Amino acid sequence: MSSDKEYDVCLLLEGTYPFVAGGVSTWIHNLIKGMPELTFTAVCILASSKEKAEYRYDVPDNFVDPKIVYLHDPVEISRSMFKKISRKNMDRLSQFHYRMDRNDISMMKEMVELFRDGKFPISELMHGKRPWELLVERYKPDTNDESFIDYFWTYRFTHLPIFKMLPIDMPKAKVYHTISTGYAGLLGVVARVMTGRPLLLTEHGIYVKERKIEISQAEWVYRKEDERLRIESKLGAFQTFWIRMFEQLARLCYDYSSAIYTLYEGNRELEIQEGADPDKIRIIPNGISLDNFLGLKPADHDYMGQTEFAIGFVGRVVPIKDVKTFLRAVKIVAIKLDKLKVYIMGPTEEDKEYYEECVNLVRLLHLEDVIEFTGKVRVTDYLPNLDLIVLTSISEAQPLVIMEANCAGIPAVASDVGSCRELLEGRTVADQALGPSGIVAKVADPVSTGEAILKILTSPILRSKMSKAGIERVKTFYKESDLNETYLNIYKDYMAMDDLE
Amino acid sequence: MAGIGFELRKLLRGDSFLSDVSAYLYAAMVSSGPWLMSVLCLAVLGLYSYSGFSRHDQDIFRTTIVYVYAFTLIYVGCIQLVVTRYLADRFYMGDDKITLAAFFTSSVIVLVAGSIIAVGAVWFFELTFTYKIIAIVLFLIVAMIWLTMIFLSAVKDFRSIVQAFAVGTSCSVAGAYLLFPLGGLEGYLLGYTIGQSVIFFWLLARLLAEFPPGRVWDSEMFSYFIKYWELAFIGMFFNLAIWVDKIMFWFAPDSRMVVPYLRTHDTYEGPIFFAYLTIVPTLAIFLVKIETKFYEHYHDYFAKIVSKENLSSILLEKQGMIRMLKESLREILIVQGSLTMLCIFMAPEFINLAGLSPLQQPLLQIALVGSLLQVMLSVAVIILFYFDLRKEVLAVTLVFLLSNVGLTWLSMQLGFTFYGYGYCYSCFISLMFSFYIVSKSVRDLEYITFSSQPLF
Repeated sequence: MSSDKEYDVCLLLEGTYPFVAGGVSTWIHNLIKGMPELTFTAVCILASSKEKAEYRYDVPDNFVDPKIVYLHDPVEISRSMFKKISRKNMDRLSQFHYRMDRNDISMMKEMVELFRDGKFPISELMHGKRPWELLVERYKPDTNDESFIDYFWTYRFTHLPIFKMLPIDMPKAKVYHTISTGYAGLLGVVARVMTGRPLLLTEHGIYVKERKIEISQAEWVYRKEDERLRIESKLGAFQTFWIRMFEQLARLCYDYSSAIYTLYEGNRELEIQEGADPDKIRIIPNGISLDNFLGLKPADHDYMGQTEFAIGFVGRVVPIKDVKTFLRAVKIVAIKLDKLKVYIMGPTEEDKEYYEECVNLVRLLHLEDVIEFTGKVRVTDYLPNLDLIVLTSISEAQPLVIMEANCAGIPAVASDVGSCRELLEGRTVADQALGPSGIVAKVADPVSTGEAILKILTSPILRSKMSKAGIERVKTFYKESDLNETYLNIYKDYMAMDDLE
Repeated sequence: MAGIGFELRKLLRGDSFLSDVSAYLYAAMVSSGPWLMSVLCLAVLGLYSYSGFSRHDQDIFRTTIVYVYAFTLIYVGCIQLVVTRYLADRFYMGDDKITLAAFFTSSVIVLVAGSIIAVGAVWFFELTFTYKIIAIVLFLIVAMIWLTMIFLSAVKDFRSIVQAFAVGTSCSVAGAYLLFPLGGLEGYLLGYTIGQSVIFFWLLARLLAEFPPGRVWDSEMFSYFIKYWELAFIGMFFNLAIWVDKIMFWFAPDSRMVVPYLRTHDTYEGPIFFAYLTIVPTLAIFLVKIETKFYEHYHDYFAKIVSKENLSSILLEKQGMIRMLKESLREILIVQGSLTMLCIFMAPEFINLAGLSPLQQPLLQIALVGSLLQVMLSVAVIILFYFDLRKEVLAVTLVFLLSNVGLTWLSMQLGFTFYGYGYCYSCFISLMFSFYIVSKSVRDLEYITFSSQPLF
């Protein structure tokens, strides 16, 4: 890689494309593929070099020279007597922390520059006397009652990845685009500070929220015994330490980003809570490729004369999808409707225990003749025969299932999570004017879900209307080609922008 | 080292005065026993004179013994601390099968290196062939005694160590006495050597009885020489530093050659060796008191850290450790200081008693002060070892060695009235330096403990 080669866009990716398959990776893949006129490079952050890094995607030709950075790989540390941190720089570091505690990020630029100038060698930060004094000072020995050894290791574990990110050589690019906050976001901040080129942020899931869930459930973060036994929502001191770390990384990224994009309204609110400037946030929903779904449900379907119904549930059989609530809702529907068929389409082997429980529940509810677990199948094969799809997840971002079903002309009943309400009832005024394409039910509520299903199935006119509204909505607002065009315009605007200070 | 102290603490719990005294006695034996025994042995042998045992013969014998002890201590010192560390780590991991394997391996090293050194050196001495052979055997046996002691300190059976030395030393005296009429000087040395080999085999038997047989060769031990190279240098240089002033005086202008190349210095050695005898109480007190009590504080301090205490209770524990250290050092100074003072005032009587010349009185007095300082230096070094500050100990050792060389040379230039001052001031400088490092290390103990932790 020649050092002065300049790319159009440098993506900053943490644990995702092109090494990890998944929703976000596919989104990135399609984005790059959709803009052959731009050259993309990337800095990919992976956990450790011990895990094999293999391409999971057939990367497009315009994705070049990705650089891999390992977050948890050992670093070579050479201690030198002459590489002490000066008293002055130490004061700055102390001041920086003081300000960060108060959500003041004004010293970040200075810190990044000093760090990259070798003024804070990692060996000294980890083993040196002055950083140690700062550590003790920040622990506040007079009042702090928490385990010191855990404080020490939490400091090391939280800071070391950051110390590793800060000195990384960034590829030259006209625009830096990070797909999460966290460490990738930090790299974005570094690039922004060092090059003056604009930083863009797209968040699919909210990184800080995901880390919070992960950390509050983590066994490896020490909490005092009595705290663990208590059933409470209060987090231990070290969990708080970790979370604050990620909150501050997010804040830095939000502040240095020229624009923030996310999928739907709920995420926007979370980002504002985490300190993002509302004016910077723009919602760009995901899109689907219309050709695969349009017209799957025959346009001349006879709604009025229909007496047999089929419901689909698309998703893995795992607790987060709350299949059990769906089964109970089906029971409510089955009491009222004789000729009902239900397909649960999704792999069953991920959580075998949960799947067993679901099968038992089906037996208990006497639904053996109604419900069929199909295993992993091609949903498009089933869509033409379905009248409704149902989603009971307790957590979702922007489920593709709903867009796909709607696009095929099938209404949906979905729990009120993520962007489901936006997808079914419309986000903007123009969107809402199209009318609902399904019904939003309460989370984990079989009665509310069952009633919603009944309402749609027993009302042919409503079903017909919803079908049309859904098709129209996806065609207008959730088209993949539009998504690419939107991003292409964004890239072009920011690429043309003058250097920022 | 911690092991010895801990076991002694248990001995001390048997509350009678007798068990108290015996514990202190054991401690003295373990820490400095071998050398003290040989000084004692030389003294006892010196008291008897035989017809035909000329002054010249006695000089040859005495210098031979001194050479043997000096050079075995220095070269076994090279592996002493490394092996100690290796054993401690192995025991910690519950692997005592390795003991004998490690013992055999290090025996091979000691014997091979010892033979080369001994043969190479003794070859050029103008002594009879038989005497040379016996001297080489003695050299190897004494070296092996040091080695066996290292391994036996793990067993903590101080009773048999004391028994071995008591019986062996008696045998040496008796052997020398009985064999002189048969073989002259050679018989004399042979008798002494037989006594020493009694000690060695006694200790060896104890060692073999204690541990399960294992492999014969333990190559893993060698990795410790690379990993803990400082320990090898510390062991060798510290013993060299203790001996270097005596060795230099063998080459002083007023030294003399007994036979080529056995050299001696008539006025210097006697008072210095005698002064060493006065540090026995401190060595005993230190081992029992500081080491056991200090170990407890040390243990509690790290226990507090590991059991996830907050920093203020860790610091509180450290205050206890500091207080204990200060108290113990004060006690040492009081006990050893008053003993040294007493000896300084009674120097003329001791000079008479030991058959030294009144000219040597100032030398004895300054040597007494030097011994006091040297024993305090050992205390400081052992504390530094507890904190595993090997580089710092190496620095102290080098200061001791270089200052002793430099100042001894200077005192030799300045003349007879300054003899002993070089050694004494060297101990003083090293002591101040080591105390500085100890107090700095204790102050920064959390920093040293935590930030030396490797990252991965």
